[in-house]
Amino acid sequence: MRNALRTQFSRSPAFLLSFIFIVLVTIVGFFAPALSPYPPGGFEEQRILEAPSHDHWLGTDELGRDLLTRILFGARVSLTVGVCTALLALFVGTLYGLVSGYAGGTVDNLLMRIVDIFYGLPDLLIFVLLSLFLGRNIAGVLIALGFISWVRFARVARGQVLQTKELLFVEGARAAGASHARILLLHILPNIFAPLLVTLTFSIPAAILAESTLSFIGLGINDPYSHWGTSWGTLAQDGWRAMRSYPHIIFFPTLAIFLTILSFNFLGNGLRDLLDPKAR
Amino acid sequence: MTFQLGKSFRRWIPSLLSFIILFSCQRSSGHGDGQTFRVNLGTEPPSLDWSLATDHVSFNVIANLMVGLTEFDKNLKPAPVIAKSWDVLDGGKKLVFHLREDVAWSDGKKVVAGDFEYSWKRLLNPKTASEYAYSLFDIVNAEEFHQGKIDESDVGVQAVDDTTLEVRLKHPAPYFLALSTFEITYPQRRDVIEKYGTKWTDPENIVTNGPFLLTLWKHENEIQLKANPHFFLGKPAIEKVEMLMVTEMTTALAMYEQGQIDFLDKDSIPILEKPRLSKLPGFQYVPQLRGEYYGFAVDRKPFNDPRVRKAFAMAIDRSVFPKLLRGGEIPATSWIPPGMLAHNPKIGLVYNPPEARRLLREAGFPEGKGFPQVTLTYNTRDNNKIVAEAVQGMWQRNLGVLVRLENQEWKVYLNRLLTDPSPVFRAGWGADYPDPDNFVKLFASYSPQNYGRWKNSRYDQILEQAGRELDERKRVRLYDEAQRILCEQDVPIVPLFAVTESTLLNPRYTGVEYNSMGRMLLSHVQLKPGGGEK
Amino acid sequence: MARFLLRRLAFGLAVLWAVATLTFALLRVLPGGPFDRERRLPPEVMANIEAKYHLDEPFLAQYARYLKGLASGDLGPSYKYIDRTVADIVADTVPASIFLGVIALALALALCLPLGVAAAAWHDRWIDRACVLLATLGISLPNFILGALLIWIFSLRLGWFQARWGTPGSALLPAVTLGAMPCAQLTYLLRSSLLETLGADFIRTARAKGVRESLVLFKHALRNSLIPVLTLLGPLFAILVAGSFVVEYVFAIPGMGRFFITAVTDRDYPLVMGVTLVYTAILVCANLTVDVLYSVVDPRMRSR
Repeated sequence: MRNALRTQFSRSPAFLLSFIFIVLVTIVGFFAPALSPYPPGGFEEQRILEAPSHDHWLGTDELGRDLLTRILFGARVSLTVGVCTALLALFVGTLYGLVSGYAGGTVDNLLMRIVDIFYGLPDLLIFVLLSLFLGRNIAGVLIALGFISWVRFARVARGQVLQTKELLFVEGARAAGASHARILLLHILPNIFAPLLVTLTFSIPAAILAESTLSFIGLGINDPYSHWGTSWGTLAQDGWRAMRSYPHIIFFPTLAIFLTILSFNFLGNGLRDLLDPKAR
Repeated sequence: MTFQLGKSFRRWIPSLLSFIILFSCQRSSGHGDGQTFRVNLGTEPPSLDWSLATDHVSFNVIANLMVGLTEFDKNLKPAPVIAKSWDVLDGGKKLVFHLREDVAWSDGKKVVAGDFEYSWKRLLNPKTASEYAYSLFDIVNAEEFHQGKIDESDVGVQAVDDTTLEVRLKHPAPYFLALSTFEITYPQRRDVIEKYGTKWTDPENIVTNGPFLLTLWKHENEIQLKANPHFFLGKPAIEKVEMLMVTEMTTALAMYEQGQIDFLDKDSIPILEKPRLSKLPGFQYVPQLRGEYYGFAVDRKPFNDPRVRKAFAMAIDRSVFPKLLRGGEIPATSWIPPGMLAHNPKIGLVYNPPEARRLLREAGFPEGKGFPQVTLTYNTRDNNKIVAEAVQGMWQRNLGVLVRLENQEWKVYLNRLLTDPSPVFRAGWGADYPDPDNFVKLFASYSPQNYGRWKNSRYDQILEQAGRELDERKRVRLYDEAQRILCEQDVPIVPLFAVTESTLLNPRYTGVEYNSMGRMLLSHVQLKPGGGEK
Repeated sequence: MARFLLRRLAFGLAVLWAVATLTFALLRVLPGGPFDRERRLPPEVMANIEAKYHLDEPFLAQYARYLKGLASGDLGPSYKYIDRTVADIVADTVPASIFLGVIALALALALCLPLGVAAAAWHDRWIDRACVLLATLGISLPNFILGALLIWIFSLRLGWFQARWGTPGSALLPAVTLGAMPCAQLTYLLRSSLLETLGADFIRTARAKGVRESLVLFKHALRNSLIPVLTLLGPLFAILVAGSFVVEYVFAIPGMGRFFITAVTDRDYPLVMGVTLVYTAILVCANLTVDVLYSVVDPRMRSR
């Protein structure tokens, strides 16, 4: 595995760069208060809407706040939402898929019909309604996003279980009298881990995309003074109306969104090549 | 004679309309021909039925299609239009309007007092379910009729004959006359509405009496008007008006700069572009009868202590608002906005950080120590956010108190205000009619908009008295006293500023009337002399 | 085949019912009602308005009324646009949305074919890498960013495109914005599907028999590789639908998606539900079409 990873790094510079970028963004988000050159809040009457300069590398916004600082803090929101949603969906979806695939028959049929229904939903619309209901905070957006993204994991997990459960070692475990839970967790789950990991890697950028879109439309997370930052999507929305005269306010946050999503996608591609060479 | 004219008119109208629609499809682009004036409405008007419309977009269309009994003059006093004169009788409890005889509907019929009676009763009819029904509740039996308790014939509005409209009020109300300028009191045609139902506002059905006629309503896209050749005050100078619905400010502005739109108002001018635009010749600030304030939840700690409220009020430097919002906002320490009777800039608490700190110390929070965590909420909107973040900074600097900010989507916010307002909350108020009564009543103990639940019986009493006082000088003195209680003594609210709108007009034109209640009137628009070239 | 169709149709109806129920319930629990105003309405005024729209009835009665209306094709009145019904509004706005979606899809299909085939034909060469890179970029670029970028370059800087909907050329930038993501997805899928087919036995046989390489690629491989692409059309429509709602917002296009946002903030319950249901119906139809096509190509599918 480690050798394969090394080969992958050397084979694909994009994979390596993406990996470094994501690690960097994570560190930056985590240590944002220490790294930021300015406080995230407050307003500087004298320094409104400055273009990038020596003092403010990425310029300032309509209240004279340092844009770099706001983007550093924003990394927390985007990453937290992306990773946590994906993990939440992974947990719920995998469990659902495992049970469905393992049980088979009528139960499987019924459970999969529900998944089909979820697939038929216009998910962004449902997401908007749900997040309004759950509140415009991180937890609300997380749950709303989780609600529409778990089905992907359920399908992947079920498909894998169907393939795996007929395999010899599973049959063996069953013959030896292992409990269902034991078979599922100890024998089946480890063997379907790889495709789930790939799906997870692709779910993170999808969640970041959905969250930033919601914020851009003006319905996202916005609480600039808590220890959380303002979402990159909200920063982009701030810059949208002033795009004509002050393009830097929209440029840098959108660049951050784009690069982060891109990195996760490259990472996902690389992982898929690595774990499932057939798919290349 | 008039009947015959009307009949031929009606036969003539459909062919005229189809002619216009056919030709209006050929879109004019680039620079206008000087005969078509193009404005941006911003969004689709929700309704062109003036009994049901509630928003300024709809009213801005209606105001160009219709005229009523009166209109505002330059000093915001009702001036005659369809009513040539009126008498106030019975100590202010009875109003009699005398109507002109030469006002015609677009189908040729005469406008009569009965059209007003019908319209007002339709507004009050429970089946109409109009949101503005309560505006006429000062009329005898109006409220009872609206509740379905009595028949409409007992309501105190009556057409005595074709040119006399009599209105009986429950009590003297000096502000009632101003209501006759409001679009909801414009006349309506029973025959048209009963014939076409909800479709009566479609261009092929609608019957109007104002300077322009509705020729096209392409939903989500544009509305077209043409000059009414038979308008009794004279045909407008401009032949055609196109009201576009360009929702994106950036797009609308680009179209203005490319000469494809001639007039933009607040809905089309991005805040951050204002510094650049304000240097253009067509740019203008129009002060509005609209105030913004922060309210306190006075029934709970820590803002149940007036000293704390005063301290917070005195720690706000209002002079930064026009710099941040760039809209020519007028900082205000008192509540009744400039341009309105009884506006008094000398009332209120001015910026004074040392005094604010002293008051806070007295209240038990020296340098903000021990002050509980409080939240300031506002509804999601660019301007509100900028103001909130600036005020937060000032309170932290001057009082040592860091408030938390929270923004909520508009409907959620309204709901929260009514049920459980946060310790500090943002609110605003725009005039329905330009009378101080409309503004000060907001904080009466019985007012549904008194979100902070402040009660002061003296304040209520003054309002009661002022509402019936017909002598203007005495009224002003009463309102001064009320404002002192509100803004200096009890301080349940901190007025921040009076809103100013920005407009951009193509410099080739003159004559757009954009008033202090955001109403846009186009009947006097014309090309500047020599402006037709180019 | 008829039974299969019927079953899929019944399933489509179930999806519609689920969406109707979910949105109906969600809207009623959202804080704030359609007639909450800054100028708070007196209770008697509110009572009359609620009576007009039957909002004074119990929740289940309202739900039953709505479903009954829906069954007969009545989407109800709009609370905000008082003179018009939801059906009127949908009829006015849906053409713009569909027009945009069709152009975007056409653009995506036209572009993904050459890209996908080129990438597979020159597998692991620079052309392949470039195509994969392009596709990954496309997948990673959110609609609103691409839209803003295009507006900034072409409308604001260069002044080439008039940004207003309805003028000639105004559909181009939004269609490119909307089509980018599906195009990237399709390219990706087509490439991997082609690669898989090219490794299959019958291709090897064809090559061994000396069939020209271009013929192998276009006649044998491409035809077989299009089947998996077909399955993606369903999710693709979902992407287009979600995207159209953002693109309409960014480009101020008077389509249905833009209405959704304002209807939600206005709490115009019937309008929100109407728009959501129409979108769902579009998805259901798309999936149904894919199912039918698929079952024609691969009869084994019918038993599912």
